Amino acid sequence: MGFEKFLFYCFAAIALASAGMVISRRNPVHAVLWMVVTFVSGAALWILLEAEFLGIVLILVYVGAVMVLFLFVVMMLDVDIATLRACFIRYLPLGAAVALLMLGEIVWIVGPANFGLTHFPSPPAAGLDVNNTHDLGMSLYTTYVYPVELAAVLLLVAIVAAIRLTMRRRTDTKTIDPAVQSRVKKGPDRIRIVKMASVGPLETPETLAEAKDEPR
Amino acid sequence: MPFNSANLLPILPEIAILITAAVVLVVDLYLKEKDKGVNHVLALIGLLVAFVLTGLVGGGERVLAFDGNVVRDLMSDLLKAGALIVSALTLVYARPWLKDRNLLAGEFYVLSLCAVLGMLVMISANTFLTLYLGLELLALSLYALVAFDRDSKLGSEAAMKYFVLGALGSGLLLYGISMIYGATGSIELGAVARAVAEQGSGNKVLVFGVAFLVIGIGFKFGAVPFHMWVPDIYEGAPTPVAMFLGSAPKIAAFAMIVRLLVEGLNALHTDWQGMLAILAVLSIGLGNVAAIAQSNIKRMFGYSTISHVGFIFLGLLAGSTQGYASAMFYTLTYALMAAGAFGILTILSREGFDAQNLEDLKGLNERDPWYAAMMALLMFSAAGVPPTVGFMGKLLVLEAVVRVDMVWLALVAVFFSIIGAFYYLRVVKFIYFDQPTTAVPIVTTGGVRAAMTVNGLAILFLGLFPAALLGLCQAAFP
Amino acid sequence: MEKVYLTIVLAPLIGAIVAGFFGGRIGRRGAHSVSILGVSVSAALSLYTLSRFIWHDEGTFNGTLYTWMVSDGIRFQVGFLVDRLTVLMMATVTFVSLMVHIYTIGYMADDEHNWPHDSKVGTNSYQRFFSYISLFTFAMLMLVMSNNFMQLFFGWEAVGLVSYLLIGFWSVRESAIFANLKAFLVNRVGDFGFILGIAAVAMYFNSMDYKEVFARAPEFAQTQVAVFGGVSLMTLICVLLFIGAMGKSAQVPLHVWLPDSMEGPTPISALIHAATMVTAGVFMVARMSPLYELSDTALSFVMIVGATTALFTGLIGLVQSDIKRVVAYSTLSQLGYMVTAMGASAYAAGIFHLMTHAFFKALLFLAAGSVILAMHHDQDIRNMGALRKYLPITWITFLVGTLALTGFPGLAGSFSKDAIIEAVEESTLYGAHYASVLLTIGVVVTALYSFRLYFLVFHGKERMNDHTRHHLHESPWVVTVPLVALAVLSAVSGWLAIEPLLIGDWFKDAIMVTPAHDTLMKIREEFHGPLQYVIHGLHSEVFYLSMGGMVGAGLIWWFVHSFNPRIDEQIQKYSGPLTWVLVNKYGCDDFNQRVFGGGSQSVGRVFWKGGDEVLIDGAIVNGSAHSVGRLAGLTSRLQTGFLYHYAIAMIVGLVGLLTIFVAL
Repeated sequence: MGFEKFLFYCFAAIALASAGMVISRRNPVHAVLWMVVTFVSGAALWILLEAEFLGIVLILVYVGAVMVLFLFVVMMLDVDIATLRACFIRYLPLGAAVALLMLGEIVWIVGPANFGLTHFPSPPAAGLDVNNTHDLGMSLYTTYVYPVELAAVLLLVAIVAAIRLTMRRRTDTKTIDPAVQSRVKKGPDRIRIVKMASVGPLETPETLAEAKDEPR
Repeated sequence: MPFNSANLLPILPEIAILITAAVVLVVDLYLKEKDKGVNHVLALIGLLVAFVLTGLVGGGERVLAFDGNVVRDLMSDLLKAGALIVSALTLVYARPWLKDRNLLAGEFYVLSLCAVLGMLVMISANTFLTLYLGLELLALSLYALVAFDRDSKLGSEAAMKYFVLGALGSGLLLYGISMIYGATGSIELGAVARAVAEQGSGNKVLVFGVAFLVIGIGFKFGAVPFHMWVPDIYEGAPTPVAMFLGSAPKIAAFAMIVRLLVEGLNALHTDWQGMLAILAVLSIGLGNVAAIAQSNIKRMFGYSTISHVGFIFLGLLAGSTQGYASAMFYTLTYALMAAGAFGILTILSREGFDAQNLEDLKGLNERDPWYAAMMALLMFSAAGVPPTVGFMGKLLVLEAVVRVDMVWLALVAVFFSIIGAFYYLRVVKFIYFDQPTTAVPIVTTGGVRAAMTVNGLAILFLGLFPAALLGLCQAAFP
Repeated sequence: MEKVYLTIVLAPLIGAIVAGFFGGRIGRRGAHSVSILGVSVSAALSLYTLSRFIWHDEGTFNGTLYTWMVSDGIRFQVGFLVDRLTVLMMATVTFVSLMVHIYTIGYMADDEHNWPHDSKVGTNSYQRFFSYISLFTFAMLMLVMSNNFMQLFFGWEAVGLVSYLLIGFWSVRESAIFANLKAFLVNRVGDFGFILGIAAVAMYFNSMDYKEVFARAPEFAQTQVAVFGGVSLMTLICVLLFIGAMGKSAQVPLHVWLPDSMEGPTPISALIHAATMVTAGVFMVARMSPLYELSDTALSFVMIVGATTALFTGLIGLVQSDIKRVVAYSTLSQLGYMVTAMGASAYAAGIFHLMTHAFFKALLFLAAGSVILAMHHDQDIRNMGALRKYLPITWITFLVGTLALTGFPGLAGSFSKDAIIEAVEESTLYGAHYASVLLTIGVVVTALYSFRLYFLVFHGKERMNDHTRHHLHESPWVVTVPLVALAVLSAVSGWLAIEPLLIGDWFKDAIMVTPAHDTLMKIREEFHGPLQYVIHGLHSEVFYLSMGGMVGAGLIWWFVHSFNPRIDEQIQKYSGPLTWVLVNKYGCDDFNQRVFGGGSQSVGRVFWKGGDEVLIDGAIVNGSAHSVGRLAGLTSRLQTGFLYHYAIAMIVGLVGLLTIFVAL
C-alpha cells in the first residue's frame, strides 16, 4: 500500500465519518462545522487525484465563503431541536430498512465488480508541466463555453430570486429615514402648540379616550 | 472560436429570450408603478421574436453546435414553438391576476423568461451537462415563482416543499448521470448511445443509472410515486404560477425524456420500458382516483396532470416512432389544455378573491356563456370526449400501445380514464346546471378573451383536424 | 378548379355559422342576407362549373384535400369527385336551395306567431332557420361531391341531422317532436344497413376511395360470403347500401317517416323532403353503379322495392285531406319511380327524373306553402276551393307543377317519366314485369290524386270561413319569384336536358352500365329530337292513362263536386274496406308502433328494471362509485402534507425500481 493510498483511505474515512456527524448532530452549528470538515477532506481527495485547482477552489469558495454564510444564518435561526427529534425514532425502522437496502444495492453495483481496476486502470500520473488550471480554463472556455454561460444565467436567476423573495419595504417598521426627516417644513409637519381656554366640561373617562384618539 | 454563426444560429431563440430577460430587468428599474405593463409587452415581444426565430432557423437537417452541447432538429423546433406559444398564453392570462394583487413586478417576467430559457435549453440539449443546466434554470426560476407572493403562507410552504423535493430529485438524476458517465465515459448523448449499444443491458451499472434517470424524469413530470409535490404546489402556488408550471414545462420535460432515454439509452429500451410502465399505470390510476375526492380545483388539476403524465409515458414506452409521435402530440396538446383550464381560473379571480374551489365555477354559463363554453371544451378535451383534441391524443397513444401488443396497458388506461371522466364532467355540470353562488360580474380584458378564444377553439380545431400537427410530430421521429 | 369546389362547399357553411352563432347580434336581415349570399355564391359557382362541363368539356376532378387519418392502411380523407353526375346534382341542389332561401324570407316572416308567447326557444327562430337550411346545403354538397365512402357517410348523417332538426323546428308542438323522433329512428334502421355496407367495402377492398373500390370491384364479382347461407359479396354490399337508401329515400317499408316530416315548415319540405335530401339514396345508387351492375339480384331487389313504393304510396295520396301530405305521398311515389329506374339500370333516366322532380316538386311544395300562408296555416283542402281568384300566380304555377308531375306531354315530368317506364319495360331482370305493370297503373293514380288536389284547392266552391276569405291575398314577391322561376324550369328543363342526358353520352365517365343491362338502348335508337319524342309520347298508353286520370279527376272533383260537395267523403265511404286500408296506410304505422315501438318498450322495461336499476345502477355504477369514492378518500389521505413523507415516498419508489430492475 503506497502512501497515496493510505492518504486516500484516511481522507475518505474522515469524509464519511464527518458526513455522518452532519446529519446526526442535534446542534445545527455543530452540523455546519462538521460539514466544513467533510468539504476539506473532499478537497484533499481531489488534490490526491491531481485536480489541484478544484481542491483549492472547494476550500476557498465553499469553506471560506459559503459555509461561513451558512454559519451566520444558522446562528440567527432559533431552531427547535426537540420537535425535530420527535419523529426520528418513529420512522427509524422504515428509514433504516430502506437505507440498508439501498446501501446494499449501491455497494453491489458501484463496488469493484463494475468499477474495479480491471475495468478502470489508473491513468498514468501527469507530468510536472501539466497545468491543471490552464487545462481547465481552456476546456471551460472552448468546449464547454455554452454550459458556462448557462451557469452564469443560473446565478443571475438565483440573485434575482433571492432579492425578490427577501428585499421588501415593510410597512410596519418604525425606522426613520433621516433624509425625509431633514426635509420637514414648518407649518404642516411640525407640532404646533395652541393655547386653549381652561373652561370646559368636567373630564370624564369618555372624553379622555376621545381626546387620545384624535389625530395629532 | 465557438462564437461563430454556425454555432450561434441554432441558439438564436435562446439568445432572444435571454436578451429580453435582461432588458426587462433593466427597464423595470425605470418604470413607475402604474407603467409596469410595459414589462408585459416586452416579455410578449420577446416570446414572439423567439417564436419567429425558431421558425427561421428551424427546419431541415439535424445540426449540432457548441461542440455537441446543443442540437437543433425537427423535434426541437416543434417543441420550442409549442413551449413559446403556451408560455405567451399563460403570460396573457396572468396579467390581470397579478395586477389586481400588486404583483405585476418586473421580476415575475424576468423569472418567467428565464424559465422559458431553461425550457428551450433543455429542448435542444445534447449533453447531460446542458440538459441538467437547463433543468436547473427552469426549476430555480419556478421555485422563486411559486414563492412569488411573499405574503402568502401557502405559497412559501409550497415553494419550500418544491425546493427540497426538487433538490432531491435533481440529486438522484445527477447520480444516475454519473453512473452512465462512469459506464460509457461520455456525457454527449450520441457517444453515450454508441457506447450503450455496445454494452447492452448486460452492464448492470447502466441499468442502475437508468433507474435513477427515470426517477429524475418521473419527478419532473410528477409521476407516481414521485408525484407528491404536484397537488401541494399546484394548490399553494399563485394561480398564474401554477398555470405556468403546469403547462409549458411539460413540453420541456418531454424533450428531456426523449433526449435521455430515446436518443441516449435506446439500447436499454426493455429496461426503461418496464419502469415507465409501472409509473404510467400508477399515475393513471392514482391521478384519476384521487382527483375525484378534491374540492379544490387547482388540486384537482394537479391530480389530473398526474394522470395525463401516465398517458404520455404510455406513448413513450411503446418504443415505436408512432408511440413517440403520439406522446409528443399528447404533450403539446395537453400543455395547451392545461394553460386554458388554469386561464379560466385566473379570469374568475378578482381583487381579493381567488377562484380555486369547484363551487366557484357554478353557474359560469349564466355569468359569461363564452367562457363557459371554452371551459366546457377544455374539460371535454381533458376527459377525452370527441371531437376535442384530448380524444385524439388518447386514441393515438392507445393505438400505439396496442400496436406493440401491450393491450393490458391500454385497457387499464381506458378503465381509469372512464373513472377520470367523472370529475371533468362534474365541472361541466357545475358550469351549466348550477346556479351561480355570486352575482359579481366577470371583468376581463379583450386580450384575455381573444387568447382564451384561440386557446379553446384550438382544442376543438386540432381535434377535428389533427393531421397537420400530427404530421409535424411524426416528422420529428423519422 | 379545386378552389372553386372548396368555395362551393364552404360558402353555405360560413353562412350557416354566421347566421347560427351570431344570429342574435346581426338580426334577421343580417342572417338572411349572409346565408343567401353564401348559397348564391355556391349556386353561381355550381352553374359556372356546369357550364364548364357543357361547353368547355371540363375534365373530371378527383382529388383529396385533407387526410384526416390513416388506420390499417385505410385512408380517411376529405376529397371531392366532381364529374358530370356530381355537377348536375350540385347545380340542382344549390339552385333549389337558393330558391328556397329566398322563399323563406316571406314564409317565415312572422314566425314568432308559431311559438307560444314569451317562449325562450322561439327567440331568433328566424335566424336559426336560415342557419339550418344553409347548413343543410353544405351537408348535401359534401354528400354529393364526396370521393370516398367516409365523407359520403358524413354527408349522409349530416343531412339526416339537419332534417331531424328541421322537422322538429317548432319544438313546442308535440306532433313535431313525434315526427322528428320517428324520422330519426326509421333512418337509424336504414343507416345500420348503410354502415354495414360501408364496413363490408372497407373489409374486402381495404379502401374507402370510390376510384380504388370501383376499379377493383370486378375482381370480387364472383366472391361468395358466408352470411345467410352464402351470397355473393356484391349482392351483400349493394343490398346493404340500398337499405340505407331505403331509409333516406323513404322506400317501402321505411317510408313511414316522410309523410310525418310535413310537420316541419314548408320551405324545408320543399328543399329537404322533396327536392334534395330524399333523393340522396337515388344518387347514391347511381354513384355506385359499378357495384350494382355486378349483381342482378341487388338490381331486382331495388326495382321491386321501388315499384312497390311507386304505386302503393300513390294510392294513399288519394284519401289524404292535408295539402302537404298529398304532395308528400306524391313525393314517395315519384321516389319509387326513380328507384325503379335504378333497378332497371336506367341510371340516366332516374337521375333525369330526379332533376325534373326536384324542380316541379319544390314548386308544388312552395306553391302549397303559398296557399297555406294565404289560408293562415290551415292545411285542410276541404276548407279551400276556388283559390285561383285570390292567388293567380300561385294558381298558374301550381297548375304547371301538377301537369309536369302527371307527365303532360312537353313538360319536364313527361320526358323523364316516360323514359323510366319504357326502360323498365325493356328490362329483363327478375321482377321487371311486375314493376312495369305497377308503374303503368301508377300513372293513373298520379293523375288522379294530383288533379284531385288541384281541383279541390283552386276550383269549385269557396269553403273557407269568412274571416279567412277576407284576408286571402297573393303572397309577397319573395314567395312568388321562386315559384315562377321553378315553374319555368319545370316547363323547359325536359326539353333541354333529354338529349344530352338520355341520348348523348353525358354520363359516360360517371355511370357504368353493362351492355346486357342497357335498357335505354331502345329510346336511344328511336330518338329523333325532343319534339318527335313528345309526339311519340302522345301515342303511348302512358299518355292515355294520365289523360284518363285527369279527366276522371276533373269529373269527380270539379264537375260533380260543384253539385255535391260531399262527393269526396261519399266515394271514400262507399269504397269501404279499400279506404280503410288506405287511410290506415296499410297498417304500417300501427304495425311499427305496436310491434317495434311496443316491443322494444317492453324489452326496454325488462332491462331497465332488472338489468339497469338492479344490476348496473345498484351493483356496478353505484357500487363502483362508492368504492371509487372510498378509494379516492384513501388516496388523498396519503397526501399528508409533510415534506419528509414525500421524500420517503420518493426514496421508497427508487428502491423499489432498483430492486425490481437491477437486483432481480
